[in-house]
Amino acid sequence: MRRILLSRLGQGATVVALVVALCFALIRLVPGDPFATSLEHETIPAEVRARMLQVHGLDRPIPEQFGRFVLNAARGEFGWSHSRNQPVATALAQSLPPTILLMGTALLLGWIGGVALGAWLGWRGDSPATRAAGGLTLLVMSVPEFVVALLLVMGPALAWGLFPIGGMRQDFPAAGLAGAIDVLHHLVLPALTLTLLVGAIVARHQRRALLEVADAEFIRAARAKGVPERRILVRHALRNALVPVLTLAGVLFPALVSGAVLVEKVFAWPGMGRVVVEAVLRRDYPLVSGAVLVSSLFVVLGTVLADVAVAWADPRRRR
Amino acid sequence: MRRLLACLLLASSLACSDRSSGGSSGGTVVIGAAADADALLMPLVEGIQGRIVAELLFDRLAEIGPSLNTVGDADFQPRLARSWRWSPDSLAIVFELDPTARWHDGQPVRAADVVYGLAAIRDSANGSPLAASIADIVSVTALDSLSAEVRFANRSPEQFYSATLVMPLPAHILAALPSGALRTSPAAHAPVGSGRFRFVRWEPGVAIELATVRDHYRGRAKLDRVLLSVSPEMAAGLARVKAGEVDVWDPLPPTEIGEMAAQPHLRVVTAPGFDYAFMAFNFRDPRAPARPHPLFADLAMRRAITMAVDRQALVRGIFDTLGLVGMGPFTRTQSTADTTLRQIPFDRAAAEALLDSLGWRERGADGVRRRGGRRLTFQVILPSSSRSRERAAVLMQEQLRAVGVEMTIDRSEFQAFLDKQNAGRFDAALGGIRTTPSPRGVRGWWTSTAIPGGGTQNAWRYTSAPFDSLIDAGLRAMDPERSRALLRRGYQQAVDDAAAVWLYEIKNGTAIHRRLVLPPWRPDAWWLTLGEWTVDPAQRLPRDATPATP
Repeated sequence: MRRILLSRLGQGATVVALVVALCFALIRLVPGDPFATSLEHETIPAEVRARMLQVHGLDRPIPEQFGRFVLNAARGEFGWSHSRNQPVATALAQSLPPTILLMGTALLLGWIGGVALGAWLGWRGDSPATRAAGGLTLLVMSVPEFVVALLLVMGPALAWGLFPIGGMRQDFPAAGLAGAIDVLHHLVLPALTLTLLVGAIVARHQRRALLEVADAEFIRAARAKGVPERRILVRHALRNALVPVLTLAGVLFPALVSGAVLVEKVFAWPGMGRVVVEAVLRRDYPLVSGAVLVSSLFVVLGTVLADVAVAWADPRRRR
Repeated sequence: MRRLLACLLLASSLACSDRSSGGSSGGTVVIGAAADADALLMPLVEGIQGRIVAELLFDRLAEIGPSLNTVGDADFQPRLARSWRWSPDSLAIVFELDPTARWHDGQPVRAADVVYGLAAIRDSANGSPLAASIADIVSVTALDSLSAEVRFANRSPEQFYSATLVMPLPAHILAALPSGALRTSPAAHAPVGSGRFRFVRWEPGVAIELATVRDHYRGRAKLDRVLLSVSPEMAAGLARVKAGEVDVWDPLPPTEIGEMAAQPHLRVVTAPGFDYAFMAFNFRDPRAPARPHPLFADLAMRRAITMAVDRQALVRGIFDTLGLVGMGPFTRTQSTADTTLRQIPFDRAAAEALLDSLGWRERGADGVRRRGGRRLTFQVILPSSSRSRERAAVLMQEQLRAVGVEMTIDRSEFQAFLDKQNAGRFDAALGGIRTTPSPRGVRGWWTSTAIPGGGTQNAWRYTSAPFDSLIDAGLRAMDPERSRALLRRGYQQAVDDAAAVWLYEIKNGTAIHRRLVLPPWRPDAWWLTLGEWTVDPAQRLPRDATPATP
């Protein structure tokens, strides 16, 4: 197990370095710069933009900028975010908790719900109920998430007034327990949107995996021995069918920090997805680099965790 | 009996507090915004949200009056300066500050704050967008603690307006900062201002809260609080307006105005705007900028294209009654506007005859004209962020096809669009400009001094000596009438030159909650009257009753 872990971490470090370097260069190669939009104003001379590029070291060659970025990042300094007018570390620290709350809730509920639904679909076999549920999962996966989000805004939030339309808390937030309940109230619709999507994806993977083991010899043997159906499902079938779903969980894990751009935008959720997209549009190089670094670290962490979980579920993988 | 007495005492104390606050009605206004403020200090502000907050937090020396006239000083209203006087040579203005004016931390506003206001704009490390607008100011000097002298290099009709662009900043907090540190200083994120609203909190990407200043030198604002609430997705932001969570949304997309006006709790204020859009011709060859453009260097070709575009139908198709046909490099809201300018008319037959006369007679199987085997085709660039310009391009494409001209459309992400435009890599550009009450922007966008490399923004390289000299003379003339006359002649020159196809001006629609009672609307900056907004007592919402954050 330790060997697997060390090998994955080594690969992960390489991936992080490559991804960060690539993004660092690519964002600088696309047209524009952090101060280009200023030129839309008739009173700003070109010298002002040139001076600002100089002040922020953006007129230097890309390798030199990258070297400085690496040295600063090693000291925990990611620079200044031009789009948010605050240090990158602060911008990330402010936007990560909302994203982790939203995505954590959605991934957890979606994964649990998806595994349960997928297990039921796969184990129950063909019936009108499973066909209907299977079709529903397909429908949820086919509809773009922002459409689901807008439907939830127009229905439960706007027409029925059951939930707030956007934001993470009220405009004038309460403190203490009332404040926490307020956040949960605001969390319901964006989390529901993403839970539905994650649940549908996981359910379909789980169903397929379970169908593959449903006729396996060890299942038939367990039945022949008179083991109760529920025990066969939970102890034998599900554990063997978990491997692809655990791998999928590893793939979904980085979304914990990268966020869900469209859903965050529709619900005005102050998370990482929105921050990164705005940073890209405004060519906020330091914030993009910082966010890519954090996201790629989570990709590596997700992969490692998935490998560990798969090894736990399938002893053959430990060899 | 004891309860009755308590009620009477409470009622009398409430009545007293109301009197002491100058008839305040209290209440909260939530302003919806699709983006967050970029900065809260005026020298650093670029976007409209930042400007709204900065102009609520800080007072200027004097403010433009309801006429929006920026020429001379007659229409300006005192703010931090209670009076001003001109030097005999008209090259300096001495502002006498109101001795009762205070910063929100209690410190008095002093002449040193005006001096620092200029220094913050001038510090090139701050990259202030205002720097060029105050280029004619030589210095600001504190004559004594309450007198600040603003000195100019030249006399000009908008000298006074230039001086008011220097917004006093709290020198006792900011002056010690090293050069370039203003943007990153904590004081820039929690500013101490001088306006009728003070800073309470800023959650980036979420909200900015301001509260009324109770003992303000101009009197307490009638509202208790103002909140700028960010909803990045337009549809969700408008849903918040419909649900009554947001009180103000400006500007409304034209397609939403009807639906918003139908909401019982909302009203829509429409007012002429300061934005105009146009299709600018590139006067230089995109492949070899030293050479004239193969099509558009020719006035006859530009006029033919202009005549082939039915701007009236185009504006009606896109905006219905919420747009106006563009008339030149200005908007009708500017005091120098002239709606009597001689326009190049829509005349398809004349356009075809002109193209024929230029030798573009043959037509291929695709209907596109040809000359010497070359097709009459050009590409227009536009930013994909502008839905209106995109629709305008599609409509123009059809209209030009009818006269045998092929126009291809190149949509780009905004920064990529700017990059192409500023590098001159285009045949024509669908541009949009936000003007101000001042006409001086026309020099920055359209004169040859503004061609990239020599100045700022004339990316389409329009060059006309008569236009340059008329605009220059108009902006320098001291007599307002003469200034207007010269500028109007300059505008006429640009129209006659067919420097661009002047497409449309947009009327702004603003959704406002009906419980809010408003003073006369100020079309260039409605938020400047927020201090006078009141809440109808019969329609108060729970958020109006919540006391302002201490």
